[in-house]
Amino acid sequence: MSEPTGVIHDIGYRHYGGARLGRGHATAALLVHSLRGIFGLGRTARAKIVPFLIVGVMMLPAVVSIAIMALLKQPGMTYTSYGVTMQAVLAIFLAAQSPYIVAPDLRFRVLPLYLSRPVTLWDYVGAKLAAMIVAMFLLLAVPLTVLYVGELVIDLEGPPHTGGYLTSMAGAAVYAILLACLGVAIASFTPRRGLGVASVIAFYLLTSAVSTIVSATMDSVNNYTASGWALMINPFFLVDAAVQVGLFDAAPSAPVAYPDGTSVVLQLLIVAVLIALSVIALIMRYRKAAAR
Amino acid sequence: MTILATEGLTRHFPRVTALDQLTVTVGPGVTGLVGANGAGKSTLIKILLGLLAPSAGSAQVLGMNAMTQGAEIRRVVGYMPEHDCLPPDLSATEFTVHMGQMSGLPRTAARERAADVLRHVGLYEERYRVMGGYSTGMKQRVKLAQALVHDPRLVFLDEPTNGLDPQGRDEMLGLIRRIGTEFGISVLVTSHLLGELERVCDHVIVIDGGKLLRSSSIADFTQTTQTVTVEVEEGQEALADRLTELGESVTRHGRMLLVHVRAPETFDTLRDVVCDLNLCLVRMEQGRQRIEDVFKEPVDREPADV
Repeated sequence: MSEPTGVIHDIGYRHYGGARLGRGHATAALLVHSLRGIFGLGRTARAKIVPFLIVGVMMLPAVVSIAIMALLKQPGMTYTSYGVTMQAVLAIFLAAQSPYIVAPDLRFRVLPLYLSRPVTLWDYVGAKLAAMIVAMFLLLAVPLTVLYVGELVIDLEGPPHTGGYLTSMAGAAVYAILLACLGVAIASFTPRRGLGVASVIAFYLLTSAVSTIVSATMDSVNNYTASGWALMINPFFLVDAAVQVGLFDAAPSAPVAYPDGTSVVLQLLIVAVLIALSVIALIMRYRKAAAR
Repeated sequence: MTILATEGLTRHFPRVTALDQLTVTVGPGVTGLVGANGAGKSTLIKILLGLLAPSAGSAQVLGMNAMTQGAEIRRVVGYMPEHDCLPPDLSATEFTVHMGQMSGLPRTAARERAADVLRHVGLYEERYRVMGGYSTGMKQRVKLAQALVHDPRLVFLDEPTNGLDPQGRDEMLGLIRRIGTEFGISVLVTSHLLGELERVCDHVIVIDGGKLLRSSSIADFTQTTQTVTVEVEEGQEALADRLTELGESVTRHGRMLLVHVRAPETFDTLRDVVCDLNLCLVRMEQGRQRIEDVFKEPVDREPADV
């Protein structure tokens, strides 16, 4: 290599002698990069509008509840009903942001660049999925935590609802995993972002409409088991019934009663199967994309 | 020193054989890989990166086995794909930093390297703008930068001059030459234009239909297959006959005659014959080595290579 000459900005090519970290570091870097991208950080101002708007809307019930507790000295919203109440907002966020996670890399063919680096295809898919899971979890866990901190600070009569808070955090984790897997799997099938957004939102509208209609019909003919199961078509009620109500005994947040008794195992199994199917679909999709 | 070596490398796809018993060795410096579309260039690069398993044979890159040590190879090798691969909503800087991190550089080091490398490929103020608005030339530069950001020991450049205007092409070729010499990074560059590679490569490998046609240093290449193209208004036949009589080898190519240059005297003979026959000479130019020429002749000339 040539020595620096009189010209200050032509110092020639410098070799890199520093650390070269492994796959783990690269995967973590991809996770952070994707997570920032989901919230529009490091992207254009326009990309920040939707995620920030949704985060704001998600915070609203927590803020209002804290205000109610502070001013009216009455208990605010229950923790475990947060996810179900805000399901439309969560679904919009999922629909708006999960295509961002997968579509551009497929559409603009960035994937081969990742694959030409030490990370494997499964590191890539794992990091992308993990980023979406973390984003969904934060979206739900941050308002819940704010609400809990608010409750502790205001210190109403009686013990704080620590149990309810922890249950809702477990629920948030399962919500995040299930929704992110479903959303990313659906979105990965099209390289077009708009189509991805439409598919995910259509999936939510369809499941929620079908479950509401069927369960209301069954309820009106007094078939309560069927109406409870019909509700399970909607992933939000499924997680509420399986995890928050089934495992942790929280109060159900649904218009009709959940199917009772031994069905918890079955519900948990459905959650697991849905996650597994989504992951398998993703793997198949990416195996095909990588071969191109 | 051997940078990469393949031994009987074969890859079958369901309907085509992309590589067929390919055995080559590549030393340091700039090596050109020439072949028509579908000749197996991209398949070869994928195998060398350890992304595709060969059906038979073996490949070594920087002394590592491409089949079993793919991840280690990809750590110290850079790859610039042929196709567009840039997300339009990121700036060149952010993208290059991210790609540096993906190659294992810590974040601060990736930042420094990205700034360095983008300057070397000739992107200055525009590197802070989103890439969606870049020209083809700028995109090619960013693609090159991301292949160099982790200071690889070897880079694979797949058709780096694709879509560039003549000036951009010259600049890109100059850059490739610098990477091989000044940067000290070995380069394997593919193209379907041999003439272009002649200017930057030390060594050229020609493949067709997955088979090796020729592998030799650039000096051999231009010497052995020099031709001169002659165009006359009329009397093409007479000229060809007369030249053949005088012991020159002549091939007819449409309205042109391709005359093989055995020695500098061929030019004299040619001049004399044209004068003697009183022909109207339209042009006479040094034959740019074209890929078809190589495809035609070397089979009987260097059977050992095939």
